[in-house]
Amino acid sequence: MASVPTEYGLLLAGALFVLGLIGVLVRRNIVFILMSLEIMLNAAGLAFVTAGARWAQADGQVMYLFILSMAAAEVAVGLALVLKLYHQFKTLDADAASRMHG
Amino acid sequence: MIQQEINQDRAMTNEDLIALSPLLTIAATSVALMLVIAFRRDRMTALVCALVGIALAIAMLPVAATRAPRQITPLLILDQYAIFYLGLLFVAGFVVASLAHGYLCEHEGQPEEFYLALLLATSGGAALVMSDHFASFFLGLELLSVSLYVLIAYPRARAHSVEAGIKYLILAAASAAFLLFGMALIYAELGTMEFARIGVETAGAVRPELLLIGQGMIFVGIGFKLAVVPFHVWAPDVYEGAPAPVTAFVATVSKGAVFALLVRYFANLGSESFNLFFPALAVIAVASMFVGNLLALAQNNVKRILAYSSIAHFGYLLVAFLAGGSLGATAAAFYLVAYIVTSLMAFGVVTVLSDRREAEEMEDYRGLFWRRPGIATIFLAALLSLGGIPLTAGFMGKFYVLVAGLGSALWLLALMLVVNTMIGFYYYLRLAFMMFRDAPEGGAVSFATPSLSFMSAAALAGLTLLMVWMGVYPGPIINTIRTMVAGLIP
Repeated sequence: MASVPTEYGLLLAGALFVLGLIGVLVRRNIVFILMSLEIMLNAAGLAFVTAGARWAQADGQVMYLFILSMAAAEVAVGLALVLKLYHQFKTLDADAASRMHG
Repeated sequence: MIQQEINQDRAMTNEDLIALSPLLTIAATSVALMLVIAFRRDRMTALVCALVGIALAIAMLPVAATRAPRQITPLLILDQYAIFYLGLLFVAGFVVASLAHGYLCEHEGQPEEFYLALLLATSGGAALVMSDHFASFFLGLELLSVSLYVLIAYPRARAHSVEAGIKYLILAAASAAFLLFGMALIYAELGTMEFARIGVETAGAVRPELLLIGQGMIFVGIGFKLAVVPFHVWAPDVYEGAPAPVTAFVATVSKGAVFALLVRYFANLGSESFNLFFPALAVIAVASMFVGNLLALAQNNVKRILAYSSIAHFGYLLVAFLAGGSLGATAAAFYLVAYIVTSLMAFGVVTVLSDRREAEEMEDYRGLFWRRPGIATIFLAALLSLGGIPLTAGFMGKFYVLVAGLGSALWLLALMLVVNTMIGFYYYLRLAFMMFRDAPEGGAVSFATPSLSFMSAAALAGLTLLMVWMGVYPGPIINTIRTMVAGLIP
């Protein structure tokens, strides 16, 4: 089976990572920011799988499973906070909900 | 070959379990506490459970020390260095739990899960200081982070806390993604995730630029946790929004554990990588000192002042780190201990003065000395130590950092440290003078004075004694630190 060169995998992961980062920076809706964060984390996971494939080790996929479970935990807490935020500010706009300055 | 692999990844033995016992105790306590809460929801039970768990973990340290140094699976290592920092983190966790009790009694709502998240965060920090593999590094960091999201946003009724929690979550998750991507790049290039082997194989890398990007991205993740410039933007908001005991935890345990890991990581990478990153780290150190101190001047919120002050303190710490060698590591460890003790005192005072509202405005401290002389004295001692006045732990810490910096001929960095210490005096003393002003006319002190619980008082008194002892007679602590650093950096 011909394998995909490592560079392609890393480039794809890099592109995904940058897309996610742009989403985090540009989006103002907190739910979309959380989704963009997921994309960044999954890009890192893809990079790990690619790296693991290069060395024919399971470590890359193990790391991906860790990332997956950590992202789930993070989103669970994140969505709970988003709910509270919506109750308090009646908005999901990140700028409108930012009250602390100085 | 296969046989060798199996031997290398051998199953865990009893000896390994004994060496791991402090970490296992903390983890088991959090599970036990979770079950206890399910059956009996009572704030005193939860507190006692957490305190006993942390105390047991501290008691396990000498037992584990008999097995040190020991590599436990490829993921964790237990050496003198790890034991020292485990002790420091556990003690800080114990103090935060004691302080939190009085604070949570002033708030309605269910305080039990607070201790659960505190235990989990402490075990995350413990995993960090023991880790010498990317997997354990990442898991420890995330265990710490996710518990911190919960802790920061714990008072759900407070809008600032929820806002701070969300801000911290978004930035911490983004920095974790940077960290992970950097790890993946290094793994793709070197085929290993163990710190020691990364150090060995870096020299033979085919594409060093990939490694450089990877290390840089890892440093973004670490820099975020340490809140050094330019990754510091979250610190003031999170310090202000988080409940005071959690702010103490973020400032001490979270930052201390990550700094301990940073020193171990670079000790494993070797001097070539260190020299490569030296200019960037030096710029970060100077920028952190100046940004932290200058922005603190303009603040009127005590928690924000302390946030900017802690940014500056990590600039000082980076000077010790950059001095390198065993002298630099010794100075850094001593400074970190002094910083943690002093910060716990300062945030401890903010905690005991807070009732429904956080005692965070400058005005809250007006005339504090005449109302609560004991607490004001402790706060004064903490401010003097943060500023670096002689006979305090902060002074000895700065002294050792300066000696280490001059010993490595870092003249410019040493000069910056002195200049910044001068700037720092201004806002620490401004806060100190506030406590001696007369109370506002009319006697209408809007400030409720919550009673001081026995545990908070004991914790604050103990910290103050420790701080003065470190400032007057630092010999024993320095010797302990020397022996533990010798194991890491010969």
